Amino acid sequence: MVIDFLRQVFAERPQRTAVVWHERQYSYAHLLSRLDHWRTRLAREKVAPGSVTVLEADFSPEAIALLLALIEHGTIVVPLTPAVETRKEEFIETARGEVGFRVDGADEVQVCRPAFVSDHPLYDELRRRGHPGLVLFSSGTTGRSKAIVHDVSHLLRKYTTRRHDFTTLAFLLFDHIAGIDTLFYVLANGSCLVTVPDRSPDTVCRAVERYRVEVLPVSATFLHLLLLSGAHERYDLSSLRYIAYGSEVMPESTLKRCAELFPGVTILQKYGTTEVGTLRSKSESSDSPWVKIGGEGFRTRVVDGILQIKAHSAMLGYLNAPSPFTEDGWFITGDRVEVRGEYMRIHGRDSDLINVGGEKVFPTEVEDLILQLDNVADVTVYGEANPITGNIVCADVSLVRPENEQEFVARLKRFCREHLQPYKVPIRVSIVDRHRFSQRFKKLRRRQD
Amino acid sequence: MGQEIDIVKILYAAIDDLNLQLPPEQQLEKSTATVLFGDGGRLDSLGLVTFIVAAEQKLTESAGISLTLADEKAMSRRNSPFRTVGTLAAYIGERLAEGENE
Repeated sequence: MVIDFLRQVFAERPQRTAVVWHERQYSYAHLLSRLDHWRTRLAREKVAPGSVTVLEADFSPEAIALLLALIEHGTIVVPLTPAVETRKEEFIETARGEVGFRVDGADEVQVCRPAFVSDHPLYDELRRRGHPGLVLFSSGTTGRSKAIVHDVSHLLRKYTTRRHDFTTLAFLLFDHIAGIDTLFYVLANGSCLVTVPDRSPDTVCRAVERYRVEVLPVSATFLHLLLLSGAHERYDLSSLRYIAYGSEVMPESTLKRCAELFPGVTILQKYGTTEVGTLRSKSESSDSPWVKIGGEGFRTRVVDGILQIKAHSAMLGYLNAPSPFTEDGWFITGDRVEVRGEYMRIHGRDSDLINVGGEKVFPTEVEDLILQLDNVADVTVYGEANPITGNIVCADVSLVRPENEQEFVARLKRFCREHLQPYKVPIRVSIVDRHRFSQRFKKLRRRQD
Repeated sequence: MGQEIDIVKILYAAIDDLNLQLPPEQQLEKSTATVLFGDGGRLDSLGLVTFIVAAEQKLTESAGISLTLADEKAMSRRNSPFRTVGTLAAYIGERLAEGENE
């Protein structure tokens, strides 16, 4: 029922490539036949509608067919990727998985039964509605990961409107809201999804060249790594029409360089949260950090500088945390924004803000400036507790070429003092070999212990 | 006694570092009597924090000593160890005598 619109798209274009996986192309006819296979198999395995199913997989033809079959069968799906391998047991226990499916590297599926009892009130609500569910975990960089429960029939509604048919690269992960958004957008428009074995700049650029990828949805950190690696010069990227970035604040300098390097490409900022899904958005221009967000089913408002969203597709709630909604049903994103007419500028998580003696410092503003300094490869700015000023601004910098540390630090501070208010100038500057990224290619703004 | 002289030297190196970052009228003189913070001092709170971090780094670089100077222990003293270069050197000496070296 809930995926009938997708079955219709698949049936209309049986010969079209749906997925490129391990250099092989799989058609929509193949996807449809695997979906039917799994429909029969789930009944045979006696998987009950409304049960909690764990799907350990990455983007692959079998994983996609199985995900769709589990949704169609009315189960509550918990996708998990190898990126969360170390926390898998904890996640399965939190989600109370009843049946597990593991899609291995050869695209074969093993079935297991973790045998938890899933009697959470949010699950009961889904079962009462007779709707399939989806459980996603927040990245939990600031503490315990939250388990977010969605009603899939609400989540899928926005994809029933046909939009553009673009060959798209699956950069974002299978168990992440943005990865799920990429997947359903592609399937709903009968397009081709190109998967990659890893997410390094060269691998991604090679896939773009080889399969004439048109849409590249990535993180700001990836774009920065791409520019550093020079991979964009080694491959033909002329097929690209859109680069969509999101999930963290983009340094303005990186954005401007991308706009210069890819003049024919529209660079779009996306905005979404695991709790409410991905909003429709429109950047003011390719090199502008200002963006209009909203679209059907979404309303936005700003309260005390923090963005709030009311969404039809909002989650039912957290399995393991209190409701984050206001009494009138708005989700408090925790993202600090600036408003100019219809456009917004997203400054990042309020929790990333560094409070120096009552003055607020956005790490991205300082990072953005330092990136303009000669010989800087990358920089991560974060706060460190200090009893005198509450916090101090610290910067970990990696260099392009070796340079005397003392001279470099003096040069950096001088440059910052010329361009920033004194409280924003980093007090502790360290030269590091490499920066810390999460498995999702987001910069980690926490000091390593 | 020998240790305290070393510490003062290290603090002077931190002053050199800090002076590179300060406009001439705010620069500190290399003397144990130099007021760091408080009445008659030239540093504001950011300047003081910058100096303390520089001092911590110099202690590590030149003596292999790892100490957090600005902590609750220092802040809760009746007489601030950050009053002058001399009081800070004495405070560091005291912490080292207590066997502290993180």
